[in-house]
Amino acid sequence: MRTSALLMGLSLLSACEGRQSVLNPAGRDAQDVLSLIWVMFGGAVLLWFLLGVIFVYVTKVEPREMPRRWGEALIIGGGVIFPVILLGALLTYSLPMMKPQREADEGLKVHITAEQWWWRVAYELPDGRRVTSANELRLPTGRRTGLVLNAHKVIHAFWVPALGGKVDMIPGRETYLSFLPEEPGVYRGQCAEFCGASHALMAFETVVMTPEDYAEWIEAEASDAAKPASAEAYRGAEVFAREGCGGCHTVRGTQAQGQVGPDLTHVGSRKSLGAGILEMTEDDLSRFIAHTEDIKPEVAMPGYDHLTPEDLRALAAYLKGLT
Amino acid sequence: MSDIRDQEDAHEFRVEALSLWRITFGPLIWALHFVASYGAAALVCAKASAGAVEALRIGIGVGTLLALALILWLAVRAWRQWDLRRDPEWENDKGTSEDRHQFLGHAAFLLSVISFIGVVYVALPALLIGSCA
Repeated sequence: MRTSALLMGLSLLSACEGRQSVLNPAGRDAQDVLSLIWVMFGGAVLLWFLLGVIFVYVTKVEPREMPRRWGEALIIGGGVIFPVILLGALLTYSLPMMKPQREADEGLKVHITAEQWWWRVAYELPDGRRVTSANELRLPTGRRTGLVLNAHKVIHAFWVPALGGKVDMIPGRETYLSFLPEEPGVYRGQCAEFCGASHALMAFETVVMTPEDYAEWIEAEASDAAKPASAEAYRGAEVFAREGCGGCHTVRGTQAQGQVGPDLTHVGSRKSLGAGILEMTEDDLSRFIAHTEDIKPEVAMPGYDHLTPEDLRALAAYLKGLT
Repeated sequence: MSDIRDQEDAHEFRVEALSLWRITFGPLIWALHFVASYGAAALVCAKASAGAVEALRIGIGVGTLLALALILWLAVRAWRQWDLRRDPEWENDKGTSEDRHQFLGHAAFLLSVISFIGVVYVALPALLIGSCA
């Protein structure tokens, strides 16, 4: 019993080291949040301890009635002066932290619109170009990037714990947040406001890259989709066209120009599938296409389980090849 | 009851009615300061240019000093009315007119203290953040 409780505790602790943890910051803003957490936590422990000491003192060590002056000093000192100074100090420490989290970008802006249940992403480059993507966020290190947040139909919330604070995404009301990432890596983001049946299945990967890698990647992301490289992928492209996938999805450089669902131009290069819930493998691609609603309840895309296994495999090969 | 007694009561009531009003002044100044600061900040941030933010901060600063001075003045008056030093009694629960008078001073003083703290905390964001972000 005790061993299993200990194991459970340990497994909970190990969750703190993951790529979706405020205790594992990878950017300046998350570092600020973590400092604030430790200061508040340390202060709370100290106060709790102090209260315990006073409690033991007046109940066990010296249980007699206190002289009146002492009592008054305790009430005025401990009940008014001490909390006022403490709260004032906390305000003075924490208020300036709010400023950088909303600071303007240094050249790069990302427009993110929350849909049910995926993320529309558009990079606004310094030269004015807009690069459309979905369900994945890529950021360069050492430079503050602005995140312009919107939502469609219902309220969502944007949260990448490793990079910064959490901000609501509200239909018809733009919100703003900015990140200064410092450590390259892959971090998980998650919708943090209940937004419907598949709320828990609305996540995304955030890839933080060095500026050189980033420049290379954004050029690749801005380019049109790769042509099918194998016979199977070519057949997949035909299935894609025949089934009308392009009515909802865009694959730049092809006939597919739909705006309803996620942009698939470079879907094969993403770290996850279905907004952070499956792996980007051909197996998962064909599973997701055939049983979309089983994997993601109430999603707008119908499942294509009427396709033959060969068609599904070809489609998966085509999409995986869209790097 | 005699008429004389009624007249005395009426006079006393008039005097105390004023100090009953007075205990609300501290929180009232706090509330006005709060509404003015947040209202002005919301308006300036939504409608005005970035240059107006400095003017807003100065405005909030001046308003804060004014509010604090008024509250301080009310606190001093209330402290005198409470008269704790000459009559070191905290409770004032005997129900005499003197006790009522001192109790109202006591209440007004404590409300002034919390209003003072409230005004300082309301002003801190303007001092420490200094932008509309």
